[in-house]
Amino acid sequence: MTLLQISNLQKYYKDVNAVDSISFDVKKGEVFGLLGPNGAGKSTTISMISTLIKPTSGQITYNGESILENPKAIQQKLGVVPQEIALYPSLSGYENLKFWGHSYGLRGNELKNRIAEVAEIIGLKDRLKKKIEKYSGGMKRRINIGAALLHKPELLIMDEPTVGIDPQSRNHILETVLELNKQGMTIIYTSHYMEEVEFLCSRISIMDKGEIIASGTQEELIEIVKGQKKINLKFDRITKELTEKINSISYVQNIDTQDEEMVLATQNGDNIFKDLISKVSETDSNILSIDIKKPNLEAVFLHLTGRALRD
Amino acid sequence: MLSIILLRLQRLKGEYHVFLIMTVLSLVFSFIFGMTQSQDFTPTVLIVDMDESTYSQMVIDEFKNDNTFRYSVANYDAAATQVEDGKVLASIVIYEGFDTDIRNNNIPSIGVIKTKEDRDIFTLNSIVANITSKVIGNTNIAEIASIYVSELADADKDTLFDKAYNMAVEDWRYKKPVFIEASTLEQGAGFSDDNLTHSIIGFSLFFSMYTIVFAIGEILNDRKNNTWQRVLVSPISKISILGGHLVVTFLIGLVQVSVLFISGRYLFDINFGVNLGVILLILSAFVFTVTSLGLFLSGIVKTHSQLAAMTPIILTGTSMLGGCMWPLEIVNNKIVLALANITPQKWAIQAMESIAIHGKGLNEVVFPALVLTVMGLIFFGLGVKLVRFE
Ligand SMILES: Nc1ncnc2c1ncn2[C@@H]1O[C@H](COP(=O)(O)OP(=O)(O)OP(=O)(O)O)[C@@H](O)[C@H]1O
Ligand SMILES: [Mg+2]
Repeated sequence: MTLLQISNLQKYYKDVNAVDSISFDVKKGEVFGLLGPNGAGKSTTISMISTLIKPTSGQITYNGESILENPKAIQQKLGVVPQEIALYPSLSGYENLKFWGHSYGLRGNELKNRIAEVAEIIGLKDRLKKKIEKYSGGMKRRINIGAALLHKPELLIMDEPTVGIDPQSRNHILETVLELNKQGMTIIYTSHYMEEVEFLCSRISIMDKGEIIASGTQEELIEIVKGQKKINLKFDRITKELTEKINSISYVQNIDTQDEEMVLATQNGDNIFKDLISKVSETDSNILSIDIKKPNLEAVFLHLTGRALRD
Repeated sequence: MLSIILLRLQRLKGEYHVFLIMTVLSLVFSFIFGMTQSQDFTPTVLIVDMDESTYSQMVIDEFKNDNTFRYSVANYDAAATQVEDGKVLASIVIYEGFDTDIRNNNIPSIGVIKTKEDRDIFTLNSIVANITSKVIGNTNIAEIASIYVSELADADKDTLFDKAYNMAVEDWRYKKPVFIEASTLEQGAGFSDDNLTHSIIGFSLFFSMYTIVFAIGEILNDRKNNTWQRVLVSPISKISILGGHLVVTFLIGLVQVSVLFISGRYLFDINFGVNLGVILLILSAFVFTVTSLGLFLSGIVKTHSQLAAMTPIILTGTSMLGGCMWPLEIVNNKIVLALANITPQKWAIQAMESIAIHGKGLNEVVFPALVLTVMGLIFFGLGVKLVRFE
């Protein structure tokens, strides 16, 4: 069942086309991934879904109802974890959660119990007394997430919730997302970390420069680069002759050289080893190591844009 | 809206010291300014009577009725030295022959010994001119009247003159209030006088404006903390969000001015009159205007630091213009006086003073309160338009 439908959504900031006519839908119960590099337009898209900013054109419906005409249709059902920490620094963790719960209509004991539950979920049980400004970055991130969970949202949107935190907090957050999803929460997860999206999401849209350049399940996306392999080669030295020889192999599509390392993108390279070794032996260079990578979303992005996902 | 109100009150708990500092600063400043102004604000003027006639005595009596300066009689030498030493503002000399000059319809000789030309001297000159012409005028009226009446009846001319003169004087009181007629209310002992009262009113309003503008300016901090955006995404409506912030700011402002005025009342023994409702009316109008002004200012700047940079300039500027620091009565410049009308401070002070100093009531307060409300509504409208809801 489609919960959220986005059609031809567009946002201009003066002459910057932050989001350029994108369409996708999110089904009830899934973890939907929005993957893209910095400036792709992910946050802008989320701001429009969460009714914070108005699109230049296009439509967003939630449960079939336009949220542009009726923002109330989504507000109570939605939990948003903003990319930036959005908490009152001079209030304690507890007071913050209390306010955010209150603003979604929770009162009295219900509110109190819910704060306790959320504290458990974000792993900060009995650690909510400090003022926000005194917490570590990772703890702030967790409270930032907690603030979106109090009213048990039907749809949870998380905008790069793991940016700039330690691996331990990061793992905790990823586990939390899976757990919440298991309990039935629909989640839109935004990131420029390919691994996170691969780990969490059933369906993914890849965004770049305001556009969605590919959509589908992980398998469908990797199908785009099917048969493609990425090979990392290390040489004692790389000469012009070596590069030319390797480039002459018909199924080598792209060569990326850095110092003594070379990254090849190849197509259907069943005999790749034999061919590579014979070509290299014609030169003065020696192979020090070979590393073959299975195709992943990174490769998809590289294939589609010619750029790496992260710079 | 309740969420926002509770939130703001909770945050206030951590920020009460700012409120306290504003209160203390305001009281200290009111006191210092009130004191310095009352010292040089009523200078003494000496009167030298070289004529020693009934007429000169009449003139001296008139001077003594005047409240602008303190007058006392002295001999010529003392008067001259004291002016020279700067101990008194000036000395008025009623020369010998003053009385004959009046009787003979000549211009009477009266002089002023002074060392400088300033605002006070100008004032004094016009008072001297007024009083002399008044005495001459009254004398003539009385003279003519007594002659006329004594011709009709066989009455004593001198008694009639006295009567006629006094009647003329009485008439002047009503028709041409040359003198600052508002006889100051008696206010017991201590420092209390008009200047201190003015100063307490002016500084209380001035400092409370900071509290108010920065209280509503918190929405800019919220935007920086991203909480503004987060609240906008919640089911709380925009009206409730803004309403919550405005209501709390209004209350904070009202508490602040009230605390200041109550402190003024008990620390400096200032009497603000008895009608609490009227005072509350004008203060509410003022706090509303400043809250809206704060909203407007928060709308035209982007960040809280811009607000923090701009607010002191605007508040200090308009407060000087509006008469918070010194009474507008001592300002002569017509442009400045006209500009004062567009500051909320001017109207609030005018209303508060008419209650506290002149003992007036509701009638005197309605108009200023209306002006303040209209100003407030204008700022409010602009503010709502300018504040960014994203
Ligand atoms: N308020 C704004 N005014 C002008 N341009 C903006 C504004 N917000 C975003 N942009 C521009 O829109 C584009 C998309 O930005 P957006 O924040 O949506 O990207 P993002 O995918 O979330 O990136 P990141 O991973 O860095 O968070 C960028 O080029 C950005 O500079
Ligand atoms: Mg972003």
